[in-house]
Amino acid sequence: MDINTLLKKDHIILDGAMGTMLQSLGLEAGDIPELLSITEPDKIISIHKSYIDAGSNIIYANTFGANRYKLEGSGYDVSHVVKAAVRNAKKACEGTDTLTALDIGPIGQLLEPTGNLSFEKAYEIYKEIVEAGSDADIIVFETMTDLYEVKAGVLAARENSDKPIIVTMTFEENMRTFTGCSVASMAITLEGLGVSAIGVNCSLGPKELYPIIEEMSKWTELPLVIKPNAGLPDPITNKYNVSPTEFAEHIAKMNRFGIRFVGGCCGTNPEYIRQTVKALTGLKAVTVKNEIPSAVCSPVNTVTINMPRIIGERINPTGKKRFKEALKNRDIDYILGQATEQIQGGAEILDVNVGLPEIDEKEMMVTVIKAVQGVADVPLQIDSTIPEVLEAALRVYNGKPIVNSVNGEEESLDTVLPLVKKYGAAVIGLTLDKDGIPPRAEKRVEIAERIMKKALELGIPKRDIYIDCLTLTASAEQAAVTETLKAVETVKNKLGLHTVLGVSNISFGLPNRPLINSTFLTMALTKGLDLAIINPNTEAMTGAVRAYRLLANHDIDSAEFIEIYGGSSTNTVSDAIPTHTLEYAIEKGLKSEARAITSRLLETMSPMDVINHIVIPSLDKAGDEFETGKIFLPQLILSAGVAQEAFEVIKKEIASTDDNTISKGKIVIATVKGDVHDIGKNIVKVLLENYGYTVIDLGKDVDYETVVKAIKENDCRLVGLSALMTTTLGAMANTIKLIRENGLNCKIMVGGAVLTPDYAKSIGADYYSKDAKQSVDIAKEVLG
Amino acid sequence: MIAIDKINRAEALRYMGCNKSIDTKNIEPLLDKCEEELLTAIKPRYCYRIFDINIHKAHVDLKDCRLKPEGNDIVRHLSGCTAAVVMAATLSADTDRLINKYKVQDMTSAFILDCMASAAIEQVCDKAEREIAKAAEIKNMTWRFSPGYGDLPITIQKQLISTVNAERLIGLTVTDSNILIPRKSVTAIIGISQNNIPKGKRGCSLCSMAQTCQYRKRGDRCGY
Repeated sequence: MDINTLLKKDHIILDGAMGTMLQSLGLEAGDIPELLSITEPDKIISIHKSYIDAGSNIIYANTFGANRYKLEGSGYDVSHVVKAAVRNAKKACEGTDTLTALDIGPIGQLLEPTGNLSFEKAYEIYKEIVEAGSDADIIVFETMTDLYEVKAGVLAARENSDKPIIVTMTFEENMRTFTGCSVASMAITLEGLGVSAIGVNCSLGPKELYPIIEEMSKWTELPLVIKPNAGLPDPITNKYNVSPTEFAEHIAKMNRFGIRFVGGCCGTNPEYIRQTVKALTGLKAVTVKNEIPSAVCSPVNTVTINMPRIIGERINPTGKKRFKEALKNRDIDYILGQATEQIQGGAEILDVNVGLPEIDEKEMMVTVIKAVQGVADVPLQIDSTIPEVLEAALRVYNGKPIVNSVNGEEESLDTVLPLVKKYGAAVIGLTLDKDGIPPRAEKRVEIAERIMKKALELGIPKRDIYIDCLTLTASAEQAAVTETLKAVETVKNKLGLHTVLGVSNISFGLPNRPLINSTFLTMALTKGLDLAIINPNTEAMTGAVRAYRLLANHDIDSAEFIEIYGGSSTNTVSDAIPTHTLEYAIEKGLKSEARAITSRLLETMSPMDVINHIVIPSLDKAGDEFETGKIFLPQLILSAGVAQEAFEVIKKEIASTDDNTISKGKIVIATVKGDVHDIGKNIVKVLLENYGYTVIDLGKDVDYETVVKAIKENDCRLVGLSALMTTTLGAMANTIKLIRENGLNCKIMVGGAVLTPDYAKSIGADYYSKDAKQSVDIAKEVLG
Repeated sequence: MIAIDKINRAEALRYMGCNKSIDTKNIEPLLDKCEEELLTAIKPRYCYRIFDINIHKAHVDLKDCRLKPEGNDIVRHLSGCTAAVVMAATLSADTDRLINKYKVQDMTSAFILDCMASAAIEQVCDKAEREIAKAAEIKNMTWRFSPGYGDLPITIQKQLISTVNAERLIGLTVTDSNILIPRKSVTAIIGISQNNIPKGKRGCSLCSMAQTCQYRKRGDRCGY
């Protein structure tokens, strides 16, 4: 028997709870239930058998928490525990058609960016389990709450086993998992990753799962799985409140949503399974006929391509000196600033391109994707011409991204499309091939057709293919503009594919570019453009898309438009003539005015004069007031934030004139190994930057070696280390020791709530900094 | 889920280092905005179990439970008690995500949100405690004693979380260096007694921060 044979049945019966059964056998709170596979195999086998007797077609081996992290200190290793559990399950199945599933639950630590377990380490942890459980017939991930962790697990399973994979996640009543993952995001991401069935288990009783399973049926063609709890537990007695017959009745009612795999989770026992089998007898499997929407997603946000959407183009170094400089200096925060600014501007998807000859694009792409998805909820579009870069990014992306791009050349089709299929992404197809961009629309449509055909052959669904008919610059090829628009119309209407265009290129070399851009955008929208790659910070561009959505009856009741434009107009602050001085703005925290004021100052003053005569004295004043207790920390950071705005304008000005930097020196800062508290460190960073120092921020939980390497590479004369817990002070001492052992000519300042000046001295630090203000004083002393 | 409709502003301001003589006017709108966003983001949850206890010289036994809190301070804390509530509470991963987003976008807001979230988790714990007392009909409870207070080792976090099934019930985990994730979370042990318990607080002597405390430096107390 295998899973495909099983799927010929209307319903495949799973088992019920293992943990609940073990508790009734005397398991103590906090025990590791998986160890019983070794110590009490007969009891485990008998539980399996009782489910087989009740009608289970698949039983889950007792391997739920058998991972490296949870078994730590138990005296047993993963391989031993998993093999024993699978052996027990197989033994119970002997002489029956029942299959054994390798049951895999969450690791027990949260992945980056919320936690500090890396995606790569999670993959390794799952790989170990998958390899140990190779004798099982099926691999099941259940009770998952983090889509990223699921992805690590599914990749580990697919790449180290050929067994079918089933994934069930645990949703709360708000239709989200604990980490915020939505039902839609789960469904479209996992279907893309090629699992055999998806569904929901645990956390709620069957009654509460109706809306969740109904929602799931709208987003996938995969068979659905449901494994509810026996209702909700009483917190005092731990008893569940839904009886086996009531449980089974609900399951039978949910048949209409297309459920194929059914079983029970916490609180259930063989009687629940028996009643479920009974209730499903005679019911045919239902195929839900929904058209699956075309969509991409992050875990918390699914963007459906059912109306024109805005893709932000600003994370891209092409033609941007300041961005190139940020890539070279690994100034990831600058890039993140570009991400959040575009989202505020109205971007619904962000394009990410970090291609620069001087840097390792693959490594940088992975770093930036991880960082951006840590702060941005919108889906990402991975933009690179190098397949290895695309694959590295596709692996670590959390959700369903867009790949930008494939083109009509054989080599591109053969290398990029298999990646798109493997990782379940959507893809942009450029209508060009080895002969370049065809001048005529017809030829571009032909290429689009070729791309579509190849993608469909590989099993990429039509809804995931977006065609870019390519914008040429109107100043050079004026007649080509209508060809592009014609191609958009044909691809949309004849091929039935979604369309995408990079818009800004149209106006290159012309005056009043915003006018040309927004006019072209509107023309393209009326021809059927779905995805506009634009600068969302330009009001005229986002405004054109929003206005179109209103006029084309997508924005129902003009709700979005009124919400954005209906209130008092604050969108033009940056263009308004500033009424205050920069000193006043810094003192009062008037962030929105700082840019405009600074731009005006730069018309008459040199950048260095603005820094030395206005920004720094104003910051000094705020610092003094902080020290004397006239203002408190948020007010100080606010002032620093205003100064930062001014600095950005100044940096841009300098980047555009020459390559001279305004840096007063480089400072490496880090929160030490094991510690994840970084608020204090970040405040220090803001202040130091605003005094003109270049801060190389290594982040939190930083290895000793990484600190040493950064000091060496940047030839730094000052390093700042932060720790907030007594338990991580040791890591601070070790970091200092390693810096000293390397004989680096670098002063060390330390800070953090648990530190004292004496302790700082005892671990070999040169300076103890009691707060962010003092770190600036130290920097002045060391670097000038 | 447990509802919090207002952040204890005075407490949050104290965490931010504010005192009465400071004019907070220019920052009030930002405080309001942060509070609104935080209240939308948080999804406070808690879980707990109640165990009969046996108190020994330097550790406490919880009946049918692997968790064995050790140290003089927890023994003293639970003296006279016959049972204990083991609880865990969190504001949710959404809170971390909100604060992380602002760390990039606007450090002032990030810092304010961080302090407000610290105030909020205490409010959640207070409310949870009242709900537990009501559900389990407890009359006399000690204050919440958390790993890391006094000589109760912080290394029991992993076992404590597993004891109350906090990973599965409220999505709470712990890192290798015993930091709770999501960050704004609390675990605690509360004693249950048949007799009246004087309403005490943690006080400074049990606090690992006693020597470096910013509040004490300015002649204040953190309030626990």
